[in-house]
Amino acid sequence: MTFYLLIEQIINGLIIGSTYALIGSGIALIYGTMRVLNLAHGEFYMLGGYFVFYFAVTLGIPSYLAIPIAVFLAFVLGVVIQRMTIHYLLGREGWMFSSIAVTLGLSIFLQNAALLMFGEQFQSIPYYVSGVVEIGQVRIPAQRILIFVVAMTTIAVMWYILKRTRLGWAIRATSQDRDAAAVVGIPAERIFMITFGLAAALGAIAAAMLAPIYAINPWSGLPLLLKGFVVVILGGLGSFPGAIAAGLLLGVIEAIGVQLTSSEWRDLISFGLMIAVIWWRPWGLFGSKPA
Amino acid sequence: MFESLRARHWLSILIAVAVMVGLPLVTQDTYLLHVLILAMVFGIFASAWNFVTGFAGLKTFGHHAFFALGAYGSALIGINAGLSPWVTIWLGGFIAAVAGLFIGLPVLRIKSMPHVAIVTLGFAEIVRITLSNLTDITRGELGLWGIPAFEGFTLPGIGEVSFSPADKAAYYYLALVLLLLSMVVITTMMRSKTGLSIIAMRDADDAAESLGVNLTRLKLQVFVVSSFLVGVAGAFYAHYISILTPMAVAGVDLMIMIIAMVLVGGLGTLTGPLAGALILTILVELLRDLDTFRLLIYGALIIFSVMFLPRGLVTIGEFVPWRKRPADNEGK
Repeated sequence: MTFYLLIEQIINGLIIGSTYALIGSGIALIYGTMRVLNLAHGEFYMLGGYFVFYFAVTLGIPSYLAIPIAVFLAFVLGVVIQRMTIHYLLGREGWMFSSIAVTLGLSIFLQNAALLMFGEQFQSIPYYVSGVVEIGQVRIPAQRILIFVVAMTTIAVMWYILKRTRLGWAIRATSQDRDAAAVVGIPAERIFMITFGLAAALGAIAAAMLAPIYAINPWSGLPLLLKGFVVVILGGLGSFPGAIAAGLLLGVIEAIGVQLTSSEWRDLISFGLMIAVIWWRPWGLFGSKPA
Repeated sequence: MFESLRARHWLSILIAVAVMVGLPLVTQDTYLLHVLILAMVFGIFASAWNFVTGFAGLKTFGHHAFFALGAYGSALIGINAGLSPWVTIWLGGFIAAVAGLFIGLPVLRIKSMPHVAIVTLGFAEIVRITLSNLTDITRGELGLWGIPAFEGFTLPGIGEVSFSPADKAAYYYLALVLLLLSMVVITTMMRSKTGLSIIAMRDADDAAESLGVNLTRLKLQVFVVSSFLVGVAGAFYAHYISILTPMAVAGVDLMIMIIAMVLVGGLGTLTGPLAGALILTILVELLRDLDTFRLLIYGALIIFSVMFLPRGLVTIGEFVPWRKRPADNEGK
């Protein structure tokens, strides 16, 4: 591997990793706030992709309008799904497992509903920007740079919301202590709905950015869901900053690993890494050991 | 579950077994027997998954890895070493049990349920990817075929027993024997002191540990027994179906089907997984024409049973007002 190839792979890894971070932070947000492991998160990604496809390609709306509409739609979908399922399970006996099981059911249901509605053919969206950026000997398509910029901007906005707005304070307060938050007047149930919606929106943004390079099909959510899981294990489950760092790291490790082996072993590298981390630091790479 | 078996329990068990044993004497319909054989294989799988998830409370989502390891393990040993399936199905179970030990060790030290779910799912994906990438050995997604069938033998008094695609009765009885053995293993474990420790661990692990239950050892024990049973079920399936693809035996779809069976039947009950396996396998066959809706229905069934019937179909009797039931702890 030459030096420039290595640099190029690291940059590519960071770019794909930024979308892993988006998916992972959505899973982390939901888990962190309501202790629900969302197995249907991949479907938010998949449906987000179809929404973008519908507005941008089928209806021909310019992509800078189509993407926000699709993301908003995903937000609404997330809120509705939370209200109709998870809402009733939280706090019930055995809710930790039943909430996982219901998201599993949702995942299969949405996947196959998408299959019936959109068919099994692979759809793709044309590049939003064309051209190649050259830095020295490293050449990167502008589309990929856009992915990174949008993903990091989204994460920065999310960060700002969580740290600096009343909504973010309410989310973080609810995640720290639901009952105490309720005592000071935070409507925990509404916060849960909004959190679910926000996570779905993060998934849809990732889908919008990846759709031009990965095809959209009813099963496209599962691989990304599994990547998101690896990210949250590496970053420490429920940790937003952990998910971001782990997403970028995973992207780079995968890119270099694929260069050293071949692309069909890509997923094996990430799952192997996950199991190694579970052996070595079960609380995640960036978290601290729980007392 | 821990109440002593009274006459009526023994009677219902006896009737159920008698019906299953007697069925091929009444009808030799290969299609019906085929459906029931599949229901029994999935019944073993569902019971073993329920053993880990429903009884011991270790929520794994990757048990299909053990089914695949048992299936491919037994088939590959049979093909490459020329051993009889009568030997290799146990080796398949053994391979699955070793894998269960390997993945069990890191996972079971963690008390966090989501970690267990994610890591087991990731492990199953590793198995699937490996099976489909090692095309020299497994032929990948093209499918592994040429898997040896069970050799026939002569039973005194009954005559020649042969295992051929045309004659399903022999497979049927073998599957029934494996199912009964699995149920005996799970039931005796659950009804013993070990079973009490398992339930205690699920409901209050700290309290159980303080009373001298070795959590790690117990979890490993349950995990290894369960993966062995699933491995044997997979191995039988391999020699019965005689073609394997990584998607069919190591894909998430299989696990989803098993989870749907257990949730519909009743998580944490002894009979629930069997009822669920029977109902869903028959349902799938009835809906054969609607194959595109199959998974949609599975998804809806999982959502429905989690939301409205959290303890499964077998507990539905409790909702019948005129039937007073002793308040047993099954499924709590």
